Amino acid sequence: MRIALTGNPNSGKTTMYNALTGSNEKVGNWAGVTVSKKEQKIKNAYCNNQELIAVDLPGAYSMSPFTSEESITSTYVKKENPDVIINIVDATNLSRSLFFTTQLLELGIPMVVALNKSDINSKKETTINVAELSKQLGCPVIETISTSKQGLNELIQAATKQSTQKQTAPFHQKEIDLTNKNEVENADRERFSFVNDIVKKVEHRKIQTKDKNINDKIDAILTNKWLGIPIFAVVMYLVFEISQVWIGTPIADWLVAYLEMFQAWVGDLLANANPLLSALLVDGIIGGVIAVIGFLPLVMVMYFLIALLEDCGYMSRVAVVLDPIFKKVGLSGKSVIPFVISIGCAVPGIMASRTIRNERERRATAMLAPFMPCGAKIPVISLFAGAFFNNAGWVSTLMYFTGIVLIFLGALLINKITGYKARKSFFIIELPDYKIPSLWQAFKSMCNRGWAYIVKAATIILLCNTAVQIMQTFTWSFTVAETADASILATIATPFSYLLFPIVGVLSWQLAAAAVTGFIAKENVVGTLAVCFVGLENLIDTEELVLMQGAGQEVAGIIAITKIAALAYLMFNLYTPPCFAAIGAMRSEMKSSKWVWGGIGLQFGVGYTVAYFVYTIGTLFTAPETLNTVGALVGLFIVAIFVITISVLIKNANKKVKEEYALTSK
Amino acid sequence: MKLIDAIEGQEYVIQDIETDDEELDAFLFSLGCYSGETITVVSHIKSGCVVSIKDARYTIDNQLADAIVI
Ligand SMILES: Nc1nc2c(ncn2[C@@H]2O[C@H](COP(=O)(O)OP(=O)(O)OP(=O)(O)O)[C@@H](O)[C@H]2O)c(=O)[nH]1
Ligand SMILES: [Mg+2]
Repeated sequence: MRIALTGNPNSGKTTMYNALTGSNEKVGNWAGVTVSKKEQKIKNAYCNNQELIAVDLPGAYSMSPFTSEESITSTYVKKENPDVIINIVDATNLSRSLFFTTQLLELGIPMVVALNKSDINSKKETTINVAELSKQLGCPVIETISTSKQGLNELIQAATKQSTQKQTAPFHQKEIDLTNKNEVENADRERFSFVNDIVKKVEHRKIQTKDKNINDKIDAILTNKWLGIPIFAVVMYLVFEISQVWIGTPIADWLVAYLEMFQAWVGDLLANANPLLSALLVDGIIGGVIAVIGFLPLVMVMYFLIALLEDCGYMSRVAVVLDPIFKKVGLSGKSVIPFVISIGCAVPGIMASRTIRNERERRATAMLAPFMPCGAKIPVISLFAGAFFNNAGWVSTLMYFTGIVLIFLGALLINKITGYKARKSFFIIELPDYKIPSLWQAFKSMCNRGWAYIVKAATIILLCNTAVQIMQTFTWSFTVAETADASILATIATPFSYLLFPIVGVLSWQLAAAAVTGFIAKENVVGTLAVCFVGLENLIDTEELVLMQGAGQEVAGIIAITKIAALAYLMFNLYTPPCFAAIGAMRSEMKSSKWVWGGIGLQFGVGYTVAYFVYTIGTLFTAPETLNTVGALVGLFIVAIFVITISVLIKNANKKVKEEYALTSK
Repeated sequence: MKLIDAIEGQEYVIQDIETDDEELDAFLFSLGCYSGETITVVSHIKSGCVVSIKDARYTIDNQLADAIVI
């Protein structure tokens, strides 16, 4: 039996779903967290070994969808015939929620109403006459508190019992012509007045919502004209500083010590084994994987902090604060949430763009979100900051800052290319009440994502490292290569190293190989570098590549590029197309291969151009005599191709816009 | 008058939503923002205003506030 969880956004559907099924889906205190359907068996504790499946759906305000994630919900309940619907009603907002409830009741599917967040009502001394509400609606109404699992047993019992009943609707829409706007509106008006009557009968409020409350006082500060943006900047700075310096790094150091002990232990075990095998296992496979896992603490602390931010209600305020700036580049405040989520991982970030209604805005957001350095890029940043810049904090800050600047510039470019005319766009966002974020929730979310990181390191990264290690050990005739330069890997990667030459100033197939494997998953950059540079894995605490005391200089020596080149190479890796997973997500959100290829092209072009200029200009300033003229010209040529392509596209777009205007003026 | 000119904290009745975007109109409707319903501006901010419709708070931008006649 399938039970569909439906209701307004932010009413607590996913919290309830997680409680019922024991899963760990994303919860957040803003409207539009869930953007796709999720199914899972309900725990035995709630269903006495019956086969019950809960289906979590995106929130919706009504049966007529406004954005694409809302249409998932209406399509599901209409087409997929769930056996029972649990309609989760935010008890603090009965007057709006029941509109959707009465529409759902008309479907004829057995239904139970969960009056959720009833704890908040008790606090605000709002009372709801549950028996009367149930009578008015013609379906059971159960008070619940999803956050503390209260009322869930009764709810599931009622739902099972109800599943055999026939559902009747208290309000029937008259037979109308659904294509006639006026008739539809009149029918909806009647529905709302029906709802208003019920609310009048069952709800008694002590505190009126329209009165100023504590939330408004907090808003006055957090979304203040002058303070809003600085506060956001400080909050984000603290997230990075705490995760990457204050707390993350000490834990990482400690973890790395243990991981290295393990590596040494395996090394000892294999002391008498075939040296080739032990090199493959100890240096290649284990070294590469722990290189990545060593960064786990940094990433996990960051996930924890982001989960706290998401749960307290600040995210929609950030959207409000940044809306005016983003409007200037043709996006809106709605794009902010995908960008912030992308700091954790670009895949859910890109998916979050679904809540944006305007198609151009949505696609642009999905295309630009990967410019934000994600969790997988932290190891790469830390490696370079450690090896070349003495672990300086500014490296990381600069990378995030550049990411943000690129998002703005990218948005401007996309506008120009698509021939965007400043059109009326409306921005409306719900402001949920603030709440004290749940530490337990954040902890669970952190463990969940941390685990996913470990799994990735132990699968994709492990496989890639093994492949890289094998390819650099053997020649094409499958004999052991005398020097790595004769290996399979070297021959494959060398062509790419020519492309990288203008950015790093040396021909290095190792750097090229790392950049290429980075497209599979960004952590690979670290793993591959560790495997490729002979001896590197012995110098750095591979993981964290927090280099052992003083090893930084040596690593820099082995990679043999200048500081400027290191910075340029780092930027190239961060701002060119992200991993395959993110490209896949871009494809499914954009639903247009033209946009996907355009996006990949834009990311390549921008990443290359930024890296080229950083290297060339930086070198001209610091050590002009080392700049290779041929390399600089080749790079300039590549950048020129990119710029020319963009200008042609912009010109075409302008022409089209002009033609359109010409037509309309005739 | 327009919502932009509303006095903070005072309840107004919506007269009209001036938009030719039918989907937006329907969306506002489902939130309870339609002619005949009440709306309260909780505060004006630089980019728009914070409003209370039914029992929820929203921030809307100036363009939208300009389309709501009260
Ligand atoms: N006080 C209280 N808060 C709750 C309750 N249930 C959920 N919440 C909080 O409400 C917020 C939204 O919860 P979600 O489960 O993400 O809501 P949702 O309905 O899935 O939202 P969308 O996916 O955006 O449609 C979270 O901050 C929860 O902690 C409850 O019973 N009481
Ligand atoms: Mg949800």
